[in-house]
Amino acid sequence: MVTNLYQPIGAKIVRIVDESPAIKTFTVVPERPMPFKTGQFVELALPGVGEAPFTPSSNPSDCGQLEITIMRAGHVTDLLHRSVPGQTVGLRGPLGNGYPVEAFVGRHVYIIGGGVGLAPIRSLLLTLFEDTSRFRSIVCRFGARTPDDLIYKQALFGPWQKVPGVHLRVTVDKADGSWKGHVGVVSSIMHPTDVDPRDAVAVVCGPPIMMKFVTVKLLDFGFRPADIYLSMEKNMSCGVGKCGHCMIGSYYVCTDGPVFTYEQLRKYPNIWG
Amino acid sequence: MSGEIGERLLFVETLDGLLEALASERQLYVPRAVEAGHLLVPYEGLKGIPFNPIRTINPIKELLVPICEPVASMPAGMVECPDAEPFAVFGLKPCDLKAIDILDKVFLDRDLEDSYYLARRALIMLVCSDCTEPGPSCFCNLLGGKPYPDGHFDLNISKVSGGFVVQAGSRLGKEFMERHKDLFGQAPQQAGAEILQRRKNAEAALGRINSEWPYISRAKELLEQGYEHQVFEDQGKVCVECQACTRVCPTCHCFYLYDAAYKEYFLRMKMWDSCIRRTYAQVAGGENPRRMLSDRLRHRLMHKFVYFPDRYGLQMCVGCGRCIDAETGGVDIRDILDALVKADVNGK
Repeated sequence: MVTNLYQPIGAKIVRIVDESPAIKTFTVVPERPMPFKTGQFVELALPGVGEAPFTPSSNPSDCGQLEITIMRAGHVTDLLHRSVPGQTVGLRGPLGNGYPVEAFVGRHVYIIGGGVGLAPIRSLLLTLFEDTSRFRSIVCRFGARTPDDLIYKQALFGPWQKVPGVHLRVTVDKADGSWKGHVGVVSSIMHPTDVDPRDAVAVVCGPPIMMKFVTVKLLDFGFRPADIYLSMEKNMSCGVGKCGHCMIGSYYVCTDGPVFTYEQLRKYPNIWG
Repeated sequence: MSGEIGERLLFVETLDGLLEALASERQLYVPRAVEAGHLLVPYEGLKGIPFNPIRTINPIKELLVPICEPVASMPAGMVECPDAEPFAVFGLKPCDLKAIDILDKVFLDRDLEDSYYLARRALIMLVCSDCTEPGPSCFCNLLGGKPYPDGHFDLNISKVSGGFVVQAGSRLGKEFMERHKDLFGQAPQQAGAEILQRRKNAEAALGRINSEWPYISRAKELLEQGYEHQVFEDQGKVCVECQACTRVCPTCHCFYLYDAAYKEYFLRMKMWDSCIRRTYAQVAGGENPRRMLSDRLRHRLMHKFVYFPDRYGLQMCVGCGRCIDAETGGVDIRDILDALVKADVNGK
């Protein structure tokens, strides 16, 4: 019996946390556990409205419930933001490849994130935090447009700062009166001495323009294209490598990604579109 | 069978008995003559069913991947896998068989089989026939195709003087012919030679039709080299974005999923889409990697001749020419490939 690729399972929203004016984290409990690898994505459906792809922001070791951080950016996400705990949604997945965490072992992990791009990174961090001794260091450079837009503030300025082996800096493009930290785009807090590129991998997730400039900077620092991992945002519709929407060159982001090395993508023009 | 012509050929004087036998066992689709050519339609009796000289206007994908169908529901269980019965399609041509090979790659890929496609694919009986008079837009020959099939059919029909030679190309076809052996007589002695001659004639006709265009043996390389060529912008100026090319193309298979709300349940619908559509690749944040029409025209060709071969090892164009016939604005895929060949030859 071949499974129906397009059939979601039911899931219940049990908790909604406001992360920023435009971003909320939804905790959903699927009707049966949905084990996933960090960096894989799910198609979350608002029944009767439509579905959209999201990478869970939670720790994969807790597959009984998933946390999904969602920015209001279109029709489905707008209505999702108006949903309430107790509401039923649909879930398909997990889909895609996820982060190759085993390939990071023994190396510095240099993580650069921006805006809602911190969502997949949170899942990755929670995975890495389970045993940070496996990695030489975990160096994070995170940014947001304004302090209000910065998500996971509590963790960022609290527990994550204290994890052994973790070095974390945060910036905002534009400060307000309450902001005491660095001001500038995320690449402005990246420094060539952050990690030794010969012994490191970089993970980048954020808006396309940020990913573009961060990738250029990483290359300047001496990172090899094969050591730069990019989480690509495309409009995955079917999620199973058929509908064509998420193609980058010969790749389907939904089945070959969403995590790619820059080495894989660099021959295609306009990948940041 | 692989297109070989054996010694003992089975023959029918008319196609009536064959069609009735097919219709007695399966749902049957047949060509119907219309002003612009032939349309593939459900069989409603013998009257006026033509032997189509070339492929029908509508592509076979319509019967394997319907234009729009429900594929899931919430709560689950409101839609079942297609309730399709075994069906046969009469009037297929070699380019249609190649198109099915291409769709198979996508929808029967690895562990991600599309259960809807799989169900229909398992139920279809492919009745092909040699092309007798290639049309002005047929260009399979430029891509290495032939006007007669090289296997991959259940039955193939070759027109000869006084009737038709019928060959089985699969177990399904052989068993059908065995069950209906009374229909078939021995072909006239010269039938084999006549088939070969007619095939040669059809190939020659294709050569004449496409004499202005070059043989495209290196489409992948040409497109990769010619990615920035002016031809895409030029063709973008004549394209009116009607998307007809992707609709009639037997290998274009893009679709999108959308939800439809009913009182008690919701359906997930799967509907054909087109990469020519402006917002096709746009993401929720508004970014669009192919904002310009010329980018989208190029993407369609890159998909067919570069990306698909990279992924699946075969070209995603069969040279059927449907896109040329359906074209509102005047885009001709042969002109684009021709411009790239010329640029290559001239070292531009």
